[in-house]
Amino acid sequence: MAIDVIRDVAKPILAGFGITGRRLKHPKVTVQYPEQTREQYPRTRWRHFLTRYESGLERCIGCSLCAGACPARCIYVEAAENTDQERYSPGERYAKRYEINMIRCIFCGYCQEACPTGAIVLRKNFELADYKRESFVYTKEMLLEEYPGQADEPYVSIYQRQS
Amino acid sequence: MARKTDAPPVNITINGIDLQVPKGELIVESVKRLGLEIPIFCYHPRMKPVGMCRMCLVEVGMKQPDGSVRKMPKPQAACTLPASEGLVIFTDTEQIHKDRKGVLEFLLINHPLDCPICDRGGECPLQNNTLFYGPSTSRFVEMKRHAVKAYPLSKHVTLDLERCIQCGRCVRFTEEISGDAQLAFRHRGAEMQPVTFELEEFTSKFSGNTIEICPVGALTSSHYRFRARPWDLETAPGICTMCSNGCNVWFDRRKGKLVRINGRTNEAVNEEWTCDKGKFGTDWMNNPRRASDVKVRRGDGFSRADWAEAYAEILERFREGGHEVAGLAGPMLSNEDLYLLRRMFDETFGSSNLDHRMTSVQGPAVEPPSFTIEGLEDEKGAFVFGASLSDESPIVYLRLRKAWYRQGARICVATSRPDDADAFAAVSVRYPQGGEAEFLRSLVAELRVQLEGGRSFGELADLASTLLETRGPILATESLWNLDQAGEVLAQLRLAAELLGVSLNVMALGANGQGAEELGVRPDAFDRTGLGTRQILEACADGRIRALWLAGVDPFEAFPDRSLVQRALENVEYLVVQTALETEAAAYASVVLPITAPGESDGSFTNVERRVQAFEKAVDPPAEAKPAWRVFSELMVRAEPRTPHFSAREILAEIAREVPAFQGVEWSAARDGGVLLGARRPLSRARS
Repeated sequence: MAIDVIRDVAKPILAGFGITGRRLKHPKVTVQYPEQTREQYPRTRWRHFLTRYESGLERCIGCSLCAGACPARCIYVEAAENTDQERYSPGERYAKRYEINMIRCIFCGYCQEACPTGAIVLRKNFELADYKRESFVYTKEMLLEEYPGQADEPYVSIYQRQS
Repeated sequence: MARKTDAPPVNITINGIDLQVPKGELIVESVKRLGLEIPIFCYHPRMKPVGMCRMCLVEVGMKQPDGSVRKMPKPQAACTLPASEGLVIFTDTEQIHKDRKGVLEFLLINHPLDCPICDRGGECPLQNNTLFYGPSTSRFVEMKRHAVKAYPLSKHVTLDLERCIQCGRCVRFTEEISGDAQLAFRHRGAEMQPVTFELEEFTSKFSGNTIEICPVGALTSSHYRFRARPWDLETAPGICTMCSNGCNVWFDRRKGKLVRINGRTNEAVNEEWTCDKGKFGTDWMNNPRRASDVKVRRGDGFSRADWAEAYAEILERFREGGHEVAGLAGPMLSNEDLYLLRRMFDETFGSSNLDHRMTSVQGPAVEPPSFTIEGLEDEKGAFVFGASLSDESPIVYLRLRKAWYRQGARICVATSRPDDADAFAAVSVRYPQGGEAEFLRSLVAELRVQLEGGRSFGELADLASTLLETRGPILATESLWNLDQAGEVLAQLRLAAELLGVSLNVMALGANGQGAEELGVRPDAFDRTGLGTRQILEACADGRIRALWLAGVDPFEAFPDRSLVQRALENVEYLVVQTALETEAAAYASVVLPITAPGESDGSFTNVERRVQAFEKAVDPPAEAKPAWRVFSELMVRAEPRTPHFSAREILAEIAREVPAFQGVEWSAARDGGVLLGARRPLSRARS
C-alpha cells in the first residue's frame, strides 16, 4: 500500500499544530508545584486534626468510636480518666494516647463522621510524605496542632447541628 | 428456669403458631422456643420475674368457644405471664411496636446518653433494644435527671446513677443469688437508686456479677473502666484458676493484654456467675513481676541462659537421682503438666518424692468427691464441715444457697468461725478451734443415739436430727489436713458419713488439686512409696535430698510452716524453680525456668467435682516462657531418645489411654462443657 505524503503525513501534522496553536490562547491550568499550589476544594479530606473547645479543653473524649468506624483500622485510642487536678477534656474520659497510622489511612473521613464531639476533622494539608515509616504514626501532640484557618472555622458536630 | 419441670403441658398460640409448653412457664421463655425474641431489661432467667421495666409487653388473647380470639384490652408483660390453656400471644403487632417505642422513650428520658464514654457502650442491651425497637429521635427537650456519676460502690464496682434504668437486676441478684442482700432501692420514682444500705462499701463476694447483668452501664467495673471498648476486644474461652470450682470464663484482651474476665455459661458448673476473686483477679497475667527469662545461678547472682544450658545442668543433677531428688507441684499446673511431671520423676529421675499437697501434713489418699455441683441443687440438705465455702469454693456455695432458696434444702454448717453460710443454714454450730475431733466424736455419738431411737437433749441434737432427716453429702475441704488431729477428724467424718449413708467429699482447693490427685502426683500413688511435702522439706533441710524441683509453686506462700520452707530452700544443694512470677522462692533458685501463666497455653483442669475442662491459649506468653509440660517433655527427650510431645491435646489423649480414671476423656468434649470422670480405681492400696 502506497503512502500519500500529503494526505497521510503533512495534513495530520499540520492539523495537530493547529490544535496546539488554538490552545495557546486559552488560560494555563498547569501549576508549578511546589513553588505554586492550587486552592483545594472546600471539602477536601487530608490530614487529621484534633480540635479544642474555646476553653482550651480537648474535644476528644477518647471514646474510640473513630477507631470502631475506621475501615483501615489505623486509629489507636487509649482512654483514661480526667481528674480535677489533671483535666484534658470536659467530662470523665479523655484520650491518653491517640495515634493515627497515616500509611494505613485511606482518608475516607468515617472517623470525622463517627466523632460525637466533632473532635477529629480532616483538613486540606496533603503534603504528608516523609522518609521513615515511624514518622507516619501521628501522635496526639501532632494531631492537636492548630491548622491554618482553624480560628475562623468553628466546627460543629453533626449532633450539635441537629438541634 | 431452664430446669425440667413435670408440669402438665398446655396448648398456647404465639403469633399464630400452635405449641405445647409446660403449664406455668413464663411466656417470655415460651417465645424462645420458637426462636423469637422479646426485648427485656429487668427479666433474668435465673431470677424471679418482677415486671419492672415493661419492655416485654405482648398482646394477649383467649380462644373463645366459637374459635375466635378475644384480645385483652391492654398489653401484658410477658415476663410475669404464665402459660395457660388456650392463651394466644401476639409479639409482632402494630400495637406492640408502638408500645415498645413508648416504653423505650420513657426509659431514655432520664438516661444521659453518654454512650461514647460508657464502658457498656457497644454491648449494651439498652442500646440494642433502642436500635431494634425504639424511636429514632427523642421528643424530650426538658432538663434530664441529674445524679451522682462514677460513685465507687466498692473497689471493684463503680455506680453511675444517671444511667440506671431501675430494672432491679442487681438488687435482686444480691437478694436471690448471692444472698448478702447488700443492694437495695432507696427513694421513689425517677429518683429511685440502687445503692448499699447507708452507702456502705459493697463487700459482696459476688459483686462482679451485678456488673455483667446490669442492662445499662450503671454498674461498671472499676478495673476495666475506660480500658477498652467492646470492638477493641478479642475474646477467648478459658477456665478460672482461682479455686477448684473451675468456672468457665471469657478472657477479654486488648492488644494482647488481659483487660477483663467475664463469666461464661456452663449450666453444670458456674451457670453464668463468677466470684470476685476470679473476675477481678487479673494480676497474674499483667503482673510486672513476671519471670520471663531462663536464669542460672553463677556465683552470687543469676545470669541469663538458654534452655539447652539449663536442661543440661538440670539433667546432671536430677537424672537417676532416686531418693535424693524431689519435686513439689503447684495448684495451677494443668493435667498435662502434672501427668508429664509424674512420668518424668518416675522414668527419668527414678524418684517417687513428688507431691502437690501444701497442707501442714499429708495423709493417706481420701476417696474422691462424688457430688456434682449441679446435683447439689436437688439435695435435701448438706453438711458443710470446717469450710468457709463462700471463700474457698464460691460456686459450690452458690449452688447450696440455690438449693435452699428454691427447694428449701436444709444446710448444716459446722465451723470454728462465723460463716456466710450461716445466713441460710438450717443448723449452724460452732466448735472451738482445735476442738474439731472432739466435736465430731460427740456428733457421731449423738448420731448413734438417735439412730437407735434414743432421744437426747444435747447441743448437737438439732444438728444430728437434721442430718438424719436430710442425709445430704458431707462437704469438707482439704484444709482439714492443716488441723492438729487431721487423721482423727477424717476418721470421724468417715464414721459420720457411714452412719448417715452419705458421701464424704474432701474438696481440693487448688485449681487443679483434684487433677493432681487423679493423676497420682503424690508419693503413695500407684503403689509407690516416697516422701510427702513435709517430709520432702524436712529432708531438704537436713541434706538428705540434694535437688528439689518446684513446679509452679512457691512454698513460702503455700506451705503453712515458713521456717521449715526457709531451712529447706537454704540447705538444698540444687533448686529448680519453675515459675510464672518472680516469687520469693525464686531468689533461692539454682535455675529459674519461666512458665506460662494460666490462659497462656492450652491444657485442661480437673475441678472439684472431677470435671475435666479443657481451655485454649488466650493470651501470648512472655517471650521465653514455656508451658510446663513442654519443659518436662524436652527434658525426657534429652535424657533418653523418645518421641517428644507436641501439644496438650496429644498429652490428654495419652492420659485418657494411660490413666484409668481418665478413660474416654476427649479434648473436644472437655473443651465444650467438660467431662465428668467416672468411677475411680483406688490409687493406693496402702490406705490406712
